[in-house]
Amino acid sequence: MAPMLVWLVLFAVLPLGILGIYSFCQRDDIGRVVFAFSWESYGRVFDPRYLHILVRSLGYASLTTLLCLVLGYPAAYYIARRPERLRQRLLLLVMVPFWTSFLIRTYAWIQILKGHGLFNTVLQSLHILAAPVDWLYTPTAVMIGLVYSFLPFMMLPIFASAEKLDGDLLEAARDLGAGPVRVFSSVAIPLTRSGIAAGIILVFVPAIGMFAVTDLLGGAQVPLIGNVIQNQFLQARNWPFGAALGVVFTLLFAISYGLLQRTPKWERT
Amino acid sequence: MKRRTCSILASIGLAFAAAAPGARAADEVNLFAWSEYIPQSVIDGFTAQTGIKVNYETFSSGEEMMAKVLSGGTSYDVVQPPDYIAEALIHAGLLQKLDQSRIPHISNILPEFLHLPHDPTQSYTVPYMTGTVGIVVNTQVVTTPVRGYRDVFQASHAGRIVVLNDNREMVTWALYTLGIRPNDLTPANIERARPVLAEWLKLVRVFDSDSPKTSLLNGDVDLGVVWSGEAAILFQQDPKFHYVIPAEGTNRFVDVLAIPTNAGHVAAAHKFIDYVLQPEVSKQISDAFPYTNPNGAARKLLSPQQLANPASYPSTGPLDTFRAIGNASATIDELVTDLKNSR
Repeated sequence: MAPMLVWLVLFAVLPLGILGIYSFCQRDDIGRVVFAFSWESYGRVFDPRYLHILVRSLGYASLTTLLCLVLGYPAAYYIARRPERLRQRLLLLVMVPFWTSFLIRTYAWIQILKGHGLFNTVLQSLHILAAPVDWLYTPTAVMIGLVYSFLPFMMLPIFASAEKLDGDLLEAARDLGAGPVRVFSSVAIPLTRSGIAAGIILVFVPAIGMFAVTDLLGGAQVPLIGNVIQNQFLQARNWPFGAALGVVFTLLFAISYGLLQRTPKWERT
Repeated sequence: MKRRTCSILASIGLAFAAAAPGARAADEVNLFAWSEYIPQSVIDGFTAQTGIKVNYETFSSGEEMMAKVLSGGTSYDVVQPPDYIAEALIHAGLLQKLDQSRIPHISNILPEFLHLPHDPTQSYTVPYMTGTVGIVVNTQVVTTPVRGYRDVFQASHAGRIVVLNDNREMVTWALYTLGIRPNDLTPANIERARPVLAEWLKLVRVFDSDSPKTSLLNGDVDLGVVWSGEAAILFQQDPKFHYVIPAEGTNRFVDVLAIPTNAGHVAAAHKFIDYVLQPEVSKQISDAFPYTNPNGAARKLLSPQQLANPASYPSTGPLDTFRAIGNASATIDELVTDLKNSR
């Protein structure tokens, strides 16, 4: 218990505490943090323009999570139900991208999506496209980048819970006359619910703070909240404001997580 | 990628170097510099000549550099700030006076690059490379004449423009078209830039300070406002990329070398600075990164083609340099975030 406590204090409580203190400070002329109390940063957080950015970021993150779930669930479920050896190999394929730097993989997407890139060339040679389409530096490119980056984070927890799924229960459902759709929706999905929930959190939370993908694949056209926070720590050198954004953000997550954890009454029976 | 990963790798390298047992402190210099700005051959050459190991960490904007120096996490021995950041660091007492007797090769620097407003006594900094911000045009695609910012930000170029993702630069361009000097960054003047920039930013496809040449080379955009060194590389690769000094005006930037007050290897830092000032070394920098070389002795070693590159050595009158702006940077950040947000 004690090591866990030390770990928590060092890596969670202490950084959050520092963030909290900074958020009530001020900046001097060149951007150093001055330890003088001020509410100013919090006043700015609730400025409509930043709320607007936050709402847009929530939108991008939600869509990313949804797409990852739709694409990731069937794949993870399929892998988990294969025989042992094949399962390990397929799982390895999911992990392989992690061996390369995230930024390098994102740059590879620039090569794929650019005007005369792989994507347009292939689509044109298959006569699906008549002329090259602008994929790069669009919201579509950002979504592709986000889904690509976070898909494994959705698949791995779902895989873990689907692997433990008792095959006898599926068989029992079939024996009792349930069709494949019914078996999947009434037995498999509820029994892998913990994996789905973990996957949603693992994708949604980092997706909302992501800034590299919007910069590189989106051409830094439209700011998301991750870009705004990053800017405060580097370009604008307004650490108190960046810290205040971080604090509000963390609270928002803590509250929504708390609400999610309260199991609805109808599921307890 | 190159810049960011380099910077990450360099940080890791630095961490290892710091942790390596038995590393002799006197034999290294911690260098904090722009990405894509110091050739590896210069660093290797310095180590070969002096035996001093160079730990090279990079940044991709002056603001970022200052944020890291102010946070005080690492003690750097040589930093490479742009002029206006150097000025702010001098005022804050974060740079130390250079020992002029240990950097004799400063005599190679052309007088026009000395005693500039950021360091009027030339006590704290040494010019490294300089350049301008200007317009680059792919003349194969854009056939109408482009002379200034107003010609770039035309509706006919919508979605074909790349600009530096540098808030202060963008505001400065708008101010030039309004006839306002780049250092008159009063809140009222910044507000006057708003309607101009609001129209411009809607037309931009890519905001990129790291490597704006990439989107131009890929053909994803046709023109833009970029660093002169990027334009010079584009011109070297394909002369269809023309560099234009904007008619409304532009600024010159001078990136300098300096030693922070808390540097741990002051003697090695002086050695590194003087090494870079040598003509043969400075020429290597021009070969790799064709910005404007302020080193007169090095310029004599450059080929006629290098000197004829219009982006490296544009014909201009005297240009403004940026001054330290203090709190205006927060106002500018807010304006640009606001405008990008309401595109």
